[in-house]
Amino acid sequence: MKNWNRFLIAVDKSETSLRAVRYVAYMVAGLADAHICLLHVYPEPPPDFYIQGGKLDRYQMLREERAEHFLLESLNILEAAGISGRKISQRVCMAEGKTISQMVLEIQREGQYGTVATGKRGVSKAEEFLFGSISNALARHSRDFTAWIVG
Amino acid sequence: MPWLGTAATSLPGSWGSAMIDWSYFPFKILPRLQAHPAMQSIRRQPRIWRDTSEFSSIDYGDILHVDNRYLLVVGYTREGRFGIDDQPKQWVPKSYDLETGESNIVKLVFHETYSIRLGDLQVKCYRSPEKEARVLELVRGNPAFMQGYSTLDDADNLVRILDIVPGKRLDKYLQNLGEDHLDYFENHLPYVLERFLVSMQGIMLLHSNGLKHGDIRRDHIFVNRDDGSFIWIDFDYDFYLPERPYAMDLFGLGNVLLYIVGRQNFRPQEILDNPDFGQKVFNTLRVEDMSLLAQDRVFNLKKLYPYIPDRLNNILLHFSAGTSVVYDTVAEFHDELAACILSL
Repeated sequence: MKNWNRFLIAVDKSETSLRAVRYVAYMVAGLADAHICLLHVYPEPPPDFYIQGGKLDRYQMLREERAEHFLLESLNILEAAGISGRKISQRVCMAEGKTISQMVLEIQREGQYGTVATGKRGVSKAEEFLFGSISNALARHSRDFTAWIVG
Repeated sequence: MPWLGTAATSLPGSWGSAMIDWSYFPFKILPRLQAHPAMQSIRRQPRIWRDTSEFSSIDYGDILHVDNRYLLVVGYTREGRFGIDDQPKQWVPKSYDLETGESNIVKLVFHETYSIRLGDLQVKCYRSPEKEARVLELVRGNPAFMQGYSTLDDADNLVRILDIVPGKRLDKYLQNLGEDHLDYFENHLPYVLERFLVSMQGIMLLHSNGLKHGDIRRDHIFVNRDDGSFIWIDFDYDFYLPERPYAMDLFGLGNVLLYIVGRQNFRPQEILDNPDFGQKVFNTLRVEDMSLLAQDRVFNLKKLYPYIPDRLNNILLHFSAGTSVVYDTVAEFHDELAACILSL
């Protein structure tokens, strides 16, 4: 598996997401040539957003501000494990015209990340049908990369 | 200069068509307007509305002036499925074109947001005229969909002018097929399913263009009176499910297939009360046989009708609480059903 040492961690504000970061920190600490990208993808605004007078740039700014908190927490976990900040990048983006998992997969392909890690919420079948599951989508589509699903 | 309606105005005296001041209306619409039965019963001066923002003030006998057309309001549509108690939908008047005589349904802008509950889960639902207008654009000329177009009124409200769909609701149509379920199953179901496949292809077209139907229900398919084809109606609902944007459409299609195969929905109590099934069948039911999302209806129809082939029943079971695999896309669902129909 090429580029196995390029890690993409899909994060959000959940505790399971932090568990995924801790897991990667534990596994990667000590690797000389690892690179880790902390990625947060957020959805497009709801259908009534613009009718209510919403502005896209304001929405994006708010989402990015919120992401700063858990990205910083994730960064701290990685650095506390001894991983140099120079090996860590961050990216926040909106899933425009696609689902969050599609966006994560697109970034995985673009960035040639060999390992993608994410937390697993543990949803019911009904919840998965209706709201989807990023971790299940990653597991299902992990053909050219390794998926670490952290429960 | 036409008389413009912005607020109700009462004029004194007893009313009838003789009291209407016809000079307020363009000459070209007078022949049809004066002859229309609405003018015989109306008790006030009809108003012409170019701004439809206050749709609840627009009454029977008023005229909508949009897209350079004069559309006389001759009634209102009603919510189809839930019986006689439902109120008329004032934002969906029936109209009569005072120049051409064409009948239409007009949908006025009514934004609303609410949550629907599916078992323990809640989904936020939006009424979106903009989305319906986009669907109408996409499906123009496609016989699997209701036809119409959108236009802006003087206040930039997105008004949709729809053709009347010639036919009856799918659920009512199905009721008249077959002497009993076995007769229906053997002699009618394959042809119904073939037409339903075309409906599914229509939904796939929407999804491939980033659009949803938004309100897939058995009464939102009409059966064309002329050729029996199925026609989707009502596209103005939208949902916010960022990771599974088409899940509600999939769920709706599963429910429609269930109704098509069973020719009705079966709730546990109804099975118990039905002498054809009764306690014996009721006792065989498990939670896993029920709907995945709402758990209010039986999806394992083979327990009711053992002659339903496994292959068809297994497709239904994808929507049951006991499923281990769900359909990701309508295309997956469609392809399995298409293969199954060939084997019926």
